[in-house]
Amino acid sequence: MKHSRRVSSLLILSCITALALAAGPPAGDVGPTYAIRNCRIVPVAGPAVEKGTIIIRDGLIEALGPVDKVRVPDDAEVVEAEGLIAYPGLVSAFSNLFLEQPARPEGQTAPFEVEAQVQPAAGEDRFPPGPGLLVLDQLKPKKAALESFHKAGFTTVLVAPTRGIFQGQSVLLNLNGEPLGPMVLRNGAALHINFTTERGGYPSSLMGTIAHIRQSFIDAEYYAARQAQYAKGPAGLKRPEYDPRLEALVPFVRDRKPVVFQCNNLEDIKRALKIVGEFKLNALLAGANEAWRVADVLKKTPIPLLVSLDFRPPATSMYMTQGEELRKKAEAEIYPANAAALAKEGIAFALVSAANADGGAILRNVRTAIKAGLPKDVALRALTIQPARYLGLDRELGSLEPGKIANVVLVKGEIFDDNAQVAKAFVDGVLFKYAEVSK
Amino acid sequence: MRKPALPCLLGLCLLTAAALPAFADRGDLLIKNGTILTVTKGVIAKGDVLVIGGIIKQIGENIAAPAGVRVVDAAGRFVLPGIIDSHTHIALAGTNEGSEAITPEADVGTVINADDTSILTALSGGVTMVHTMHGSANPIGGPNVVLKTKWGRPSEELVVREALPTLKFALGENVKQSGRTVQPGQTQRYPATRMGANAIIRREFQKARNYMEQWDRYNKAAAAKNPPKNLVPPRQDLRLEVLAELLRGNMVARCHSYQATETLEFMELAKEFGFKIACFEHIWEGYKIADELAAAKIGISVFADSWAYKMEAAEGIAYDAGYCAKRGVLVSINSDSGERIRRLFNDAAKTMKYGGLSEEEALKLITINPAIQLGVDRIVGSLEVGKQGDIAIFNEHPMSAYTRCDMTIIEGDVYFDRDLVLKEREEAAKKAAAPRGEGGVS
Amino acid sequence: MTRRALLIALLIVVLAAFASAQAKTPGVIAIINARIIPVVGGEIPKGTILIKDGLIAAIGADIDVPPGAEVVDATGLRAYPGMIDGYSSLGLVEVSGVAATVDNRETGRINPQARALEAIRYDSMHIPIARSNGITAAVVAPAGGLVSGVSCLLRLDGWTNRAMSVKAAAAMHIELPGIRGGRGGFGGGRGAPQVRADGPALLAELKELFKSARAYEKRRDAAAKNRLLALPEYNETYECLLPLLKGEMPAMISVHSERDIRAAIVFVRDENLKAVFFGVEQGFKAADELSKAGIPVVLGSLYDLPPVWEDGYDALFRNPGLLAKAGVKIAFSSSSASAAKDLPYHAAKAAAFGLDKTEALKAVTINTAEIFGVDKTMGSLEKGKAANIVLADNDILEHRTNIRKVYIDGREADLSSRYTELLEKFKKR
Repeated sequence: MKHSRRVSSLLILSCITALALAAGPPAGDVGPTYAIRNCRIVPVAGPAVEKGTIIIRDGLIEALGPVDKVRVPDDAEVVEAEGLIAYPGLVSAFSNLFLEQPARPEGQTAPFEVEAQVQPAAGEDRFPPGPGLLVLDQLKPKKAALESFHKAGFTTVLVAPTRGIFQGQSVLLNLNGEPLGPMVLRNGAALHINFTTERGGYPSSLMGTIAHIRQSFIDAEYYAARQAQYAKGPAGLKRPEYDPRLEALVPFVRDRKPVVFQCNNLEDIKRALKIVGEFKLNALLAGANEAWRVADVLKKTPIPLLVSLDFRPPATSMYMTQGEELRKKAEAEIYPANAAALAKEGIAFALVSAANADGGAILRNVRTAIKAGLPKDVALRALTIQPARYLGLDRELGSLEPGKIANVVLVKGEIFDDNAQVAKAFVDGVLFKYAEVSK
Repeated sequence: MRKPALPCLLGLCLLTAAALPAFADRGDLLIKNGTILTVTKGVIAKGDVLVIGGIIKQIGENIAAPAGVRVVDAAGRFVLPGIIDSHTHIALAGTNEGSEAITPEADVGTVINADDTSILTALSGGVTMVHTMHGSANPIGGPNVVLKTKWGRPSEELVVREALPTLKFALGENVKQSGRTVQPGQTQRYPATRMGANAIIRREFQKARNYMEQWDRYNKAAAAKNPPKNLVPPRQDLRLEVLAELLRGNMVARCHSYQATETLEFMELAKEFGFKIACFEHIWEGYKIADELAAAKIGISVFADSWAYKMEAAEGIAYDAGYCAKRGVLVSINSDSGERIRRLFNDAAKTMKYGGLSEEEALKLITINPAIQLGVDRIVGSLEVGKQGDIAIFNEHPMSAYTRCDMTIIEGDVYFDRDLVLKEREEAAKKAAAPRGEGGVS
Repeated sequence: MTRRALLIALLIVVLAAFASAQAKTPGVIAIINARIIPVVGGEIPKGTILIKDGLIAAIGADIDVPPGAEVVDATGLRAYPGMIDGYSSLGLVEVSGVAATVDNRETGRINPQARALEAIRYDSMHIPIARSNGITAAVVAPAGGLVSGVSCLLRLDGWTNRAMSVKAAAAMHIELPGIRGGRGGFGGGRGAPQVRADGPALLAELKELFKSARAYEKRRDAAAKNRLLALPEYNETYECLLPLLKGEMPAMISVHSERDIRAAIVFVRDENLKAVFFGVEQGFKAADELSKAGIPVVLGSLYDLPPVWEDGYDALFRNPGLLAKAGVKIAFSSSSASAAKDLPYHAAKAAAFGLDKTEALKAVTINTAEIFGVDKTMGSLEKGKAANIVLADNDILEHRTNIRKVYIDGREADLSSRYTELLEKFKKR
């Protein structure tokens, strides 16, 4: 057997070489390769596959297609998914996940209300709101919160700051585990502005706030112009004074980095559009639960909408101040039909989880919106490809396509059905198993 | 035709309203057989008013109804111009930027709230137009806005663009924050005296003058054939921009004042800086300086008799409005209240007793006079051909204590109809009393 | 004529003139040629009222004017009874925003010992203004807390507070909470207005309080009879409640929501109290019960937005008419000091929304008098009653009406006021 010994030594040599090569991978676990088999696939980007296979390697979708068309690689761990449906992991383009929220007293309306939340006392604030605040610095990821979102099908979120007028800059996270660093898709994703007032200072009125926002953008433009002028030829010019606040604003007003306006009612939508038009901002509107009331305006001036799944009407709405009957109807029927009305008008939007930290409640709200007339496929797009598009992530997320990031949820039942359960979730190719929870 | 003004309009109608186009034959109405109180051109004992496309096309007797035009029978009733309240704070999301003293960058026009049911209250009292304003927390508050009480319409449709842009000023106790105790650790806001109030206004006008001069110089230099190198424009300051507009004459001042002295001093400021005062608000001591006001052609916008709530209102006599009117001051009666707004006609009637005004003179105080003060007298304030069809129908003469408003019309559209309200009430009561009823409304 | 006859005639004329100059019968006034609206009894299109010793000595179409009477020709004028305000703060509040001038709200919740009469500022600037608009008497009440104190009924003319008192103790005031929502219903409030649970709970508290007061009275009386028994400590609260519990004065209960009105009806029946309800904004919803229970109602100011949307925009305006239709005795109030002169206009506003005009007039005159037990002396123009008479050039409920003369207890009242003084002063500039 001289021949076989030579083969064996070659084999051993190649194994050692392979091992040696394999032993020097780049930092970070490569992670297992997965082959999800025999499930129904809803890619969103194309027609559904009745019985298919998805191959995940190196955190990406390597292949997907009908069972007989996709070959399972040798190194793949097979995930048997018969009876399950594979969806793209849901994207919430506006959340407050991992932020420690002070408890809101009973009966207060949605956080999108102009009411200031409980604020820390002046001087005690480690994170004073302002355009330079990076919300990433405030995040405290918790396993329970992560799992709650996974179980609702969410794998990607934007986390927005919560306090002040110029609230700060959000961060995009891929919910792939507990350590914060690896989750970050993009820091400083967008500047967030809320139509609220300052506690105990200027501005203390909404009209003051609007003037303040405008003056801030005017000053930022002026600041950028002075810096540019100085840079071009400083001789003879007084040196422009450094201003951290204006410095932080410049990218949004000069370089068209995205700005998100929180719109608590229909008037806020119009107010935001005016400011956006005046300063030619690259903007999105969040909240917008009265968007249906200004559908004609939105058709004339289309703008990305991050529509909150929180249906509580603003307290000042005329639907809330004309007797019990109308108020009940507003809360039970009219406001939950916001998304359905927009869909009917052909107005594009994403659905967002907003301040809700309870995955189950979020899905309940989606189902409510569907019951109120929102088509299921529109709801799914509004939670996948549409927010990905708005966030500039649509080349890598938002649908199940080869080459995209492996964010997949395997659901028992259709994702928006009453009894749907997320059996497994893949985020960046990392597998999370969820025990079947009986109702 | 949909009726957007009904107090009990169900949301579903409005849900679709946003999607539907404007009314097909909007603003057409014929009112027949009423006593027409034109205010400026006498009384027609039994007459008609025809409104087409929102404009009064004809006033007279026996007007034939054009095809398709709704006819309202006003037999036995009184037809008058829609009432104008020249000082309110309704339909706004906030009225005071009280954190600082000088805030003219805060514009109430940016915070219109068309969902405010005070609009319905106003309509129930025959009010078709309001001048809704800053409060009185600031020596210089900011721009105000004139709105029509078009309940159910989008906020931008309420704005009356023809109105004179106005800037709210305030003097006296509210500005001094006399009633407030300073909390430990807080400083009292300046100004705390009437001296300071005057000084701060003067200071801001000086700053505005400076600002205008800076821009003037820059613009001239930038436009020159060889502009200097390193030319830096001044910083655009929204606050000073508004004051500059007043100094340029593109806005008029409406100043809340009570005492004679502070009023006279503000008139001196106006002379010093060359701006126009359209009206003093409230001015309970107006009767003490009636001649000065008349000579300066400055109007007043006052209550009939709500007084004695502050020291500066403790010499507010009920003769104020009537006496000033008789001395040649342009007087309007206002409500400054989401409740009193529906009783403006009662307040105006009081000047017949306290002041000896005639029925017609009293009616002017809430129609043509406030229209003139607001600069909209070419389009509203009286029933004249060519003016907008803003009309109220009362069951008795509006100056009678026994009167009530039965219908309120804006540009030919009915926004309040008491008959309809009563009908709906009846139906609601029937529904509540029905055996399978949903528990009624108690 | 003979020269002698002429001389005698001349003598008679001279003597007569001299006589008439001297023999003016003091206090006898004859108002003639007036259109008389007595409120009780039919209108007299052209009649005479004789005033003597402060009372109406005679009234009618065919009254002889006694010689020497002061004759007041009321041609073109109407004669009304002086109006009575069913609830005000006249004399207790001067400038509402200046605390030092406000005396109608004692601190604490239970204050039966507070007596309005003892704090009345009889030279308040608001009293002449009300008087000059034809209001000749007013209930002046304390406010606040659960038991606010004892109101008085004043004639609006006199040189001291005691001299003005018609009834030192008119009623004991109890206040139940308003309907929550405040500006809500029509002012854009939040969510559904709810009646606070406190109404019935407060009545239960009062029940206990009254029980204790009665028990205290028993112990006190027993100790008074038997010196061997310990005399209970003087308890101001119980002592001051006893006149109410013994029926010496009615309870005037500020009550607003339908639910609380019903609870209060049961309460006054169970406690065996004489009662009048005040405010009663949702009274029209319990009108039959009020009528059956025979409880009169003094309405609060009509110048408030309805606190509950469902009651309708004109709820407060049509409430009085509906109550009257159900047989409830109603009276109006100004609920004010600085706006006390507006009393008649609340009545007219109610008439604009369904209240019969004659009922409206009764509700500012005889009804109020009956409710407070002074109808033997005021509230209408009838022989034997006090000569509280108003001469007006028009309907007394109309804004445009000028009051030409006011008589209180037969004395012509001064119609000048802060308003007229300041006007005259600055007219002279």
